[in-house]
Amino acid sequence: MTHRARVPSFSFYLLLLRLAAWLAPGEARAEWLAEWKAELWHVGRSHGTGMAGAFRGGRRVTAFCLGAFPDALWLRRNGSGRRRMAAWGLDRMRSGSARRCGALLALGAAASLLLGFRLPATRRFFLPEPYQTDSLLVTIQRGGSEETPRPTVRLGDYLSWRTDAGRLFTGLAFYQPAMGRIRTATGRSASLPIARASGNLFDLLHHPVPAIPAYPADDHRASDPPGGARVVLSRKVWRDLFDGDPGIIGRVADVSGERARVAGVLPEDFWRLPGQADAWLLEDSRTLRQLPDDSPGFVLARVRGESFPSAIDGWTYMTVSQRSGETERFACISISQQARQPLSLALFALFLAGLALPATTALALGEYPVGRYPLARAVRARRWIFLAVKLGLVAPIVFFTSVDLAYGLCQAPWPVSIYLQLASSFLGFLFGFRWALRDQRRRCPVCLQLLTNPAQVGQDSRNFLAWHGAELICAGGHGLLHIPEMPTSWFSTQRWLYLDPSWRGLFDERRAGLAKNGAARAGC
Amino acid sequence: MAVPTEPRLSHTAAMILQAIHAGQVYGFSVMEVTGLPSGTVYPAMRRMERDGLIASRWEQPSIAEAELRPPRKYYRLTRTGKTTLDAAQKRYPLLARMIVSAETEGA
Repeated sequence: MTHRARVPSFSFYLLLLRLAAWLAPGEARAEWLAEWKAELWHVGRSHGTGMAGAFRGGRRVTAFCLGAFPDALWLRRNGSGRRRMAAWGLDRMRSGSARRCGALLALGAAASLLLGFRLPATRRFFLPEPYQTDSLLVTIQRGGSEETPRPTVRLGDYLSWRTDAGRLFTGLAFYQPAMGRIRTATGRSASLPIARASGNLFDLLHHPVPAIPAYPADDHRASDPPGGARVVLSRKVWRDLFDGDPGIIGRVADVSGERARVAGVLPEDFWRLPGQADAWLLEDSRTLRQLPDDSPGFVLARVRGESFPSAIDGWTYMTVSQRSGETERFACISISQQARQPLSLALFALFLAGLALPATTALALGEYPVGRYPLARAVRARRWIFLAVKLGLVAPIVFFTSVDLAYGLCQAPWPVSIYLQLASSFLGFLFGFRWALRDQRRRCPVCLQLLTNPAQVGQDSRNFLAWHGAELICAGGHGLLHIPEMPTSWFSTQRWLYLDPSWRGLFDERRAGLAKNGAARAGC
Repeated sequence: MAVPTEPRLSHTAAMILQAIHAGQVYGFSVMEVTGLPSGTVYPAMRRMERDGLIASRWEQPSIAEAELRPPRKYYRLTRTGKTTLDAAQKRYPLLARMIVSAETEGA
């Protein structure tokens, strides 16, 4: 039985060329691709095409197409003058001065923070608390899940707690988000998430909604008397649906079929509680009771400190006996704890990364023996300050990026978002700190430049007679770094060798040469 | 006094230059004559074009259309390229024998 290898078709080779074309600079891409496609046509004719455009000699044609990648890369590296300048700038950034390293890290931290502010789901983690919260302000969830976007408490439970559990709470509020429609007096309407809530919801957040004032008879807002349902709008709805009307307070709107007067507009990013809403219809208990007892919602409560012996600093449980004799467990989760959750997770990940770090890299920075010309204290301190700055900037980069990833970019459901943040921050801290240590070991202790010109010194066979390993040099002429290939009892870790000032002349010439080359490249 | 210097080519670059001089004016034909892979030939031709040793030009679309094929980019030696090739032939004497140009063949 003979076996015939499958030969790729023309479209496969075209795909390879198109992939390579992405490496070519944009301004030259079209012409570059046209040339390669034309050449491919001739390659195809040279090897002959069979059925369905398949080439004979597929391996050779594939090899031909793969050559497009180095060609495109060459064009990228040697493209226009502007591009060459950019590449030269990148080389300079890579050249490894401490300031550039710090600037890049600071830029990374600022970029990740900025991204967090731009993503609606993560902005709340980076902004200060909009309302006064303390450990006694909690949300109550059925079962015990720490954070869930679903309403879990029945209206009947809330109403019974209001009457029976006064010794536990100083305040209880209920809200139930659902999609609804707002119609303005001018006839404009929009469908948006509206929370039907008890009237004291914002009082518990220390952001009381004012009562509707009585307007003079000649004011058009006086057509409906004060009292009845009130609606609070988000700033977005006020801006989009009411055109940012400055006299919005007291206006009447139809909210999910109910006439309500606008009682206030919330500040930007004010709402941080579970459940999404753009308008809050505040109703009295009598109206709320008209809803079915088993309709679910969220409950916000302010607990009495003395009723919860272990003051709530996070979350605690509340067991409730139902009339049927069964008991149900509810979790009381502090609002401030919810806001701190990403930071708590990051700190836990930091702790884990700290434990794992010694297993992945050596913590020692090497031996820096005092030479004949001891370094000034300020120079020695600068090295440690640089390490601290690196570690200090890696931490916020990892924190902001993990929050952006888990809650903003992926928007994974709970609890996947928690695991995602934990895993990403753990890996980020681990590899970030590992990089900071490795980078520190590859820098000159005097000028903090990255060491260059690695050279292999010695032979393996001479391990017991002399050291062998890698030697790196400081381009500023401050010294040499010797890294043993095989640690021994007398040469266990990398060792720095200071060069005395008599070497400076040699390196000054080299620096002048480098500067000249750099200027020449910039002028290309 | 400054002494004019001629660019020195590697043997591979000299082979490609010789192939173009010999009349192999397309990338694929240069590959076939020299036996070099496409990943070497095309970047080398771009480098030589950048250095002014060769120049490229697209052929007339009408010619390609008449032959029912896509238009091709072809390369030719510049005056500098010819001078450089002469210098390379002195350095690599077998070059001209390996890839014979039409004019040499005619002679």
